[in-house]
Parts: sequence; structure tokens; C-alpha cells
Amino acid sequence: MKKNSTVKKIVGSREFLLAVIIAILFALVTFKSPSFLTPKSLSDMLKNNAVTMVMALGMLCVMLVGGIDISITSTLALSGMSIGMLLKYGHISGIILPFIIAIAIGIACGLIVGLIISRADVPPIIATMGFMYIYRAMGYLISNGGEWAGAAALGTFKDFATSTFLGINKVIWVIIVCYVIFFVFMKWARTGRKIYAVGSNAEAAQVSGINVRNIKLLVFSIMGCLAGLGGALQVSVYASAMPDMQYGGEMDVIAACVIGGVSMSGGRGSVVGVLFGSIILATIAKALPLVGIDALAQNMVKGIIILVVVVVNVILQRIADNNALKGREM
Amino acid sequence: MAGKSGRSINNVPESPFKKAIFSWEGILVIVFILVNILSSQLSEFYNIGNVLYQMPTFLAEVLLMLPMAYILVLGEIDISVGAMVCLCATTSVMVCNTGAPFILVVLAALATGLCCGAINGFILTRFQELPPMIVTLGTQIIFRGLAEVILGSGGSVSAADTKGFKQLQTKVGEVPTILFVVLVFAVIAAVILGKTIFGRRVYAIGTNRVAAYYAGIHVQKIRFIIYSAMGVMSGLCALYLVSKSYSANTTQGNGFEMDAIAMAVFGGISSTGGKGNLAGGIISAFIIVCLRCGLKLANVHAQVILLIIGVLLISAVALPNIIKEIRKAASGKKKA
Repeated sequence: MKKNSTVKKIVGSREFLLAVIIAILFALVTFKSPSFLTPKSLSDMLKNNAVTMVMALGMLCVMLVGGIDISITSTLALSGMSIGMLLKYGHISGIILPFIIAIAIGIACGLIVGLIISRADVPPIIATMGFMYIYRAMGYLISNGGEWAGAAALGTFKDFATSTFLGINKVIWVIIVCYVIFFVFMKWARTGRKIYAVGSNAEAAQVSGINVRNIKLLVFSIMGCLAGLGGALQVSVYASAMPDMQYGGEMDVIAACVIGGVSMSGGRGSVVGVLFGSIILATIAKALPLVGIDALAQNMVKGIIILVVVVVNVILQRIADNNALKGREM
Repeated sequence: MAGKSGRSINNVPESPFKKAIFSWEGILVIVFILVNILSSQLSEFYNIGNVLYQMPTFLAEVLLMLPMAYILVLGEIDISVGAMVCLCATTSVMVCNTGAPFILVVLAALATGLCCGAINGFILTRFQELPPMIVTLGTQIIFRGLAEVILGSGGSVSAADTKGFKQLQTKVGEVPTILFVVLVFAVIAAVILGKTIFGRRVYAIGTNRVAAYYAGIHVQKIRFIIYSAMGVMSGLCALYLVSKSYSANTTQGNGFEMDAIAMAVFGGISSTGGKGNLAGGIISAFIIVCLRCGLKLANVHAQVILLIIGVLLISAVALPNIIKEIRKAASGKKKA
């Protein structure tokens, strides 16, 4: 009986539904173009979407407490541009140091956003909208008004994205490490559970002794940290740093979270869901040209998919609520 | 009395003169004067003639701020505005290039806007559980994607016949007509929001949607009307944009939603709903318009202007909260 309910729980969960969708998508795409399901093709897909996948984890934390952060790609541009310029003018070299600098800049940016939101009670959408302008402009200023750092200027740093460890690209290792850390952190760490508590009911969390303000500060710092990491990854994967990189990319990150079942009002969402959500988004982006949809129409199709997912979500929720009500009827 | 007096820093009733100065609108007027003095110091070219010449570029965005203020008072947000402007500009240029009379071009732009706004409104009212942020995020990608499909691989199209669009640029003496259009719409929008039953209902919904519903207000009907109005205004804004460049491209209207929201929020309209009035929004819109003209005349880089607006936006929301916090801490100490 008990075993049965565990199976039922897994099959009935949202993550299972997402996994089924991924399986169907993979099958369809492979049917259309057999070269899709090869290790090289898959690894390319993951590598090209590494930035979105990593930042989606931070967005999960932010959305869990009921917030939103649209300044992330500006933070990414600022941190990526900073290391790009430092590398270009020979102040730093190597791989580790640029990563540390980018992450540090990201954390600093996230801390400032978090302080404004948690201490001055500014709504997250307004605060991050302001910082979206500010950080992007700072990125431009650092680049001396639109200078690029091309592949030649980056030295050995760009090799990170082409080298492998244990036969798997190092960028993909970064994704794996991030997701494992966050899976453990969100599921079993006390702080991770506090994030869920604040998102489900901030007042109840406050009364039960959780410092809601500090949790909010923490999630925006985590987001900043991952955006900084994303900046370093972006520079490494595309072997160039420019001030307008990933412009508008925050929408992809939010979309990955929403498809993965993270609720905009907070408290609901899981790391596995985000992983599947971002894989679905990446697969769709890769599959659309393969199934013959014009490159121009891809954005439109992506938007329609996001809308359909959220609408279907609501309909499923309504059905579930109705069934729960019926179960109570005599 | 939610929202009647906007956000005031001083809540103690005092002489009406002092009250007027210390209300958010009073502070905004002072800031407006300061911005103008500062701009004239920054650039020797900052005079009425030059400002009026620069203004139309930024005034079109004020048209977007008006319905955005309603949406913010509802406690919601619409980030598909920029994409709607882009799509409306595209259709208007396309219709213009078929050789249709200009009135049809205008109607096409407004109708496209109405359709886009109505789509937002339809989804949001049919599925009320959905947060507006995520729905308009989706429609934003769709509208801009549709414009990309229509514009094709070139990504831009220019109007073959510019005669009609030129009419939109006419001036009365030195003053461009768009200034009058913006002012007329601003007064109408402010009166509807502040003085009519409809406006009070918008505040009621923004303060407590469930209570408003049980009080017999057609919540969904009002939301639908406002989102549709947002679309129509995007169409109007798009027409003025096209009348300047005689072309439409895929990046048109990028970031307009942020500008419109920034103007409204800077004017004291709370994004959590139910607070603020359009007087503040309109003054702040003109502050930002003048600031942009001034900085542009002083040859400040476009990104730096955005940085300054970002700082203004955040400090406008953060400062009153910080002051309140400090006062609370101070009075707490007195009690102890």
C-alpha cells in the first residue's frame, strides 16, 4: 500500500509530467533529425544554454520568496565585461582568477539589490528594473563606451569552454555541480527550507523566528553570485565580451522557471523542475529550426509555448481543486 | 481615503500651504524646477526652443505612462508595452505602403494596439489566477516575434509615403502638436482616475480585489477595459514614433515599458496597487522628459542617462521608506 502511494506520488508529480514532455520532445526531434541524440549535439546544446540554466537556479530562489529579478543579465554583462577588460589589458590572466572576480562582482551587485529590496522595502520588480539600467550602463562605462574584448584578447581564459574533464566539457561540469549543490541545499539544508517557508507565508515565517529580511537579502545575493558566474561562463563560451551581451535574456531565465513549475507568487517550485524546464526551453530552441520553422518565427513560437504552459497549468490546477472538492462530497 | 492624496511624507494635518509643499506632488514640482535649473547650467543650449525641438522624441512615451498608471493602481503590471508599440509601428508602415489613405493607417495602428491589449486582457480575465507579469512576458515575446515575422529578414521597413506622417509633426508656432495631445490625454486620464466612479473603482480593485468584487464592482470588466486602453495608447505612441523616423524596425519600443513604469512610479504611484494619483505621474513624466532633453543637449551618453534614471527610480521609492524607518527607530528610542 505504502509503496503504491510512493509510485503514485512520483507519477502524479509535476516533475514526472515535465520528464514525459522532454521524452516526447526528444523522440520527435530525433525522428526528424537523427543527429540530435548524439553526445556531441547534446553537449553543444547544454553548453550554449549553460548561462540560462545556471541563472535559472538563482531565479528559482528569488521566485520562491515571491520576488523577481530582471537585473540579472545586466549583472552578467557588468561582471563579464569587467573580466573581459581586465584580461584584455593584461591585468589578470588564467582561468581561476577571472572566475573569482566575476563571481565577486556578481555577489556585490546582488547584495546591493538585496539590501534595497529587504531594507528599504522597494518592490523587487521596481528595484531590479532600476538596477537593470544601472548595471548595464556601468558595463558600458567599463567598456570605454562599447569596446569589445575579442577572442584574441582573452588569452587562455576561453580555453575553459573547449577543454574537457573526464570526457565531459568543463562548462557542463559547472552546470552539474551547481544543480547538485542546489538540489542538496534546497532540499536538506536548513537555510534552503527557510527560503520555502518565507515564500509560502512570510508572516508565519517571521513569527516562527525566521529573519525574513535576511532570507530576502540572501536570495538576491545568491542570484547575483550565479549571474556573476554566468558572466564568466558567457565570456568563456562565446569567447568574447561585449556590453550588450544577453540583452533580454532574463526573460528566458524566467520562462525556464515558469515552465519548470515555479510559482510567481512564491513557495512552489523545485530544482528538478527548473532543470527540466530549462532543458525543455533549450530543446525547443534547438528543435524549431530542425522541424522547419523559420528562424524569424522562433521567438513567436517560444512566446506561445510559454503562454500555453502557464494557461494549461492553471486549468490543471482548477481540475485538481474541483476533484478535491468532489472528494469531500458525501 | 486610499490614494486620494497620493504618498505624503508628512501625515500630520498642517496648514494647507505647508501640506502642498510637503506632499509628494509638491516635492516633484520642486524637483522639476531644480532639473530645469541644473539642465540650463549643464548646457548652454538648454532653452525653450531647443527643448521643444527635442521633446517629441520623449513625449510619445508619456502617452504610455497614462494607462500604465491605471494598471499600476490596479496593482498589476504590463511589460508587453514596448512590443505592442513595435507591432503597431510595423502594421502602420505596412498599411501605409499599400497606398491606403492616411486615416486607414491611423486606424490600423490603433486597431492593432486594441487587439494586442484585448488579448492581454482576455487571458488575464479568463485566467485570473495568472500573474500579469508572466502573461505579458509571454505576449511580449509573441508581439515582437510577430513583428519580426512581418518585417522579414531585413528587420526594418520604411514608409513609402511620408505625407500623412508629416501631418503628425505639425507645430503651432514653436510648440509641437504632440505636446497638446499629451496634455489633453493627461487631463482626461487624470480626471477619469481621480474624479469619476470608474476611477474610484480602479482604486478599490487595487486596494482589495476580493472586497471590490463582493462590493459589486465588475472587476474583470474594468481590468479588460484598462488593458485594452493600454493597447490603443501603444498604437498612438507608435504612430508618433513612425512620424519621426518614417520607418519601423524590430528594436522599436525596446524598453518603453520600463520608461513608462519608471515615470509612473517616480510620480508616487505604488506598484503594489491602490496608491498614487496621476498628477504626480504627469509631473514626474515631465521631469524625466526635461532631464532627458537636458542631458542629451549636454552630450551625455545615452547609457549614462539610463543610469541616472535608474538611480532616480530606486531612490524615489526607497527614500520615503528609509525616512519612515528612521523615524520609527527614533520614536521607538524615545518611548524606551
